[in-house]
Amino acid sequence: MPEAIEIQLKKGALELCVLALLHQHDSYAYDIAARLADAIGMGEGTIYPLMRRLQSDGLVETYLVESSAGPPRKYYKLTEAGKRSFVSQQTAWTSFSGAVDEILGGAK
Amino acid sequence: MTRQAFIARLREGLRGLPPQTVADIVADYDTHFADGSAAGRSEAEVAQALGDPDRLARELRAERTLNRWREERSPSSAAAAVFAVLGLGAIDILVLLPILMAVGGTLFGCFIAAIAVFFAGGVVFAAGPFADPPGGTAAALLAGLGLMSGAASLGALLSLVSIGLMNALVWYGRLHYRLLKPALEA
Repeated sequence: MPEAIEIQLKKGALELCVLALLHQHDSYAYDIAARLADAIGMGEGTIYPLMRRLQSDGLVETYLVESSAGPPRKYYKLTEAGKRSFVSQQTAWTSFSGAVDEILGGAK
Repeated sequence: MTRQAFIARLREGLRGLPPQTVADIVADYDTHFADGSAAGRSEAEVAQALGDPDRLARELRAERTLNRWREERSPSSAAAAVFAVLGLGAIDILVLLPILMAVGGTLFGCFIAAIAVFFAGGVVFAAGPFADPPGGTAAALLAGLGLMSGAASLGALLSLVSIGLMNALVWYGRLHYRLLKPALEA
């Protein structure tokens, strides 16, 4: 089932991408969704269940920032555990994707 | 779909969760619509990009139920977690249900057996001094104690196995969340 594989691939990558964006700088959900939706073709709504899971797993935490227009905005930042998780996932991803690329390159 | 219709369906899907949780979740999506319109997108565009509110509600509920199982190891939270995983449609219920029932039935049977052996041990222990058993009173007392402690450790072992099985099921369900499905179908 190629569709199922595609879902699994994207889902695994999604969490890593969110952690990577937050590692660069703190951000709010709309911004994260807008930057990731086009790039990896996910439903924007899926960011919220994911953020809640990351929060309950203790990888991210939130804080409110007053905004000039409208209500205060909820920002997400990585916790120490989140930073550690990002670094280890990044390492795993890099070595895995490197190995796959090499094999795919050889198959041409 | 309009913002109002999307929020209404999301609320409907989240019914039964604590009001504070529902308010938090609804506020997240409400903000998303506000940000979207500030960025010049129509309500229909934003709703389309967000995906199916019913499915989102199911996933948010499942996430919560699975967390409850993680925090509190009780039969009721285990049952709730099983149904949440099945509700996601992540596992084919026709394949899983017979297996679940067989495994659950076997474990249940073993638990009943352990309880029965425990009580049998109690009876041997209590009756030992009066019934003049073979091997003498002391042997009957020891045998009763042995049966009871054996049954207790069997029960403990079964609890560990049950918890392990539940964790495996939750892990499997999580792995198969179809979080990205709406985007792929769109």
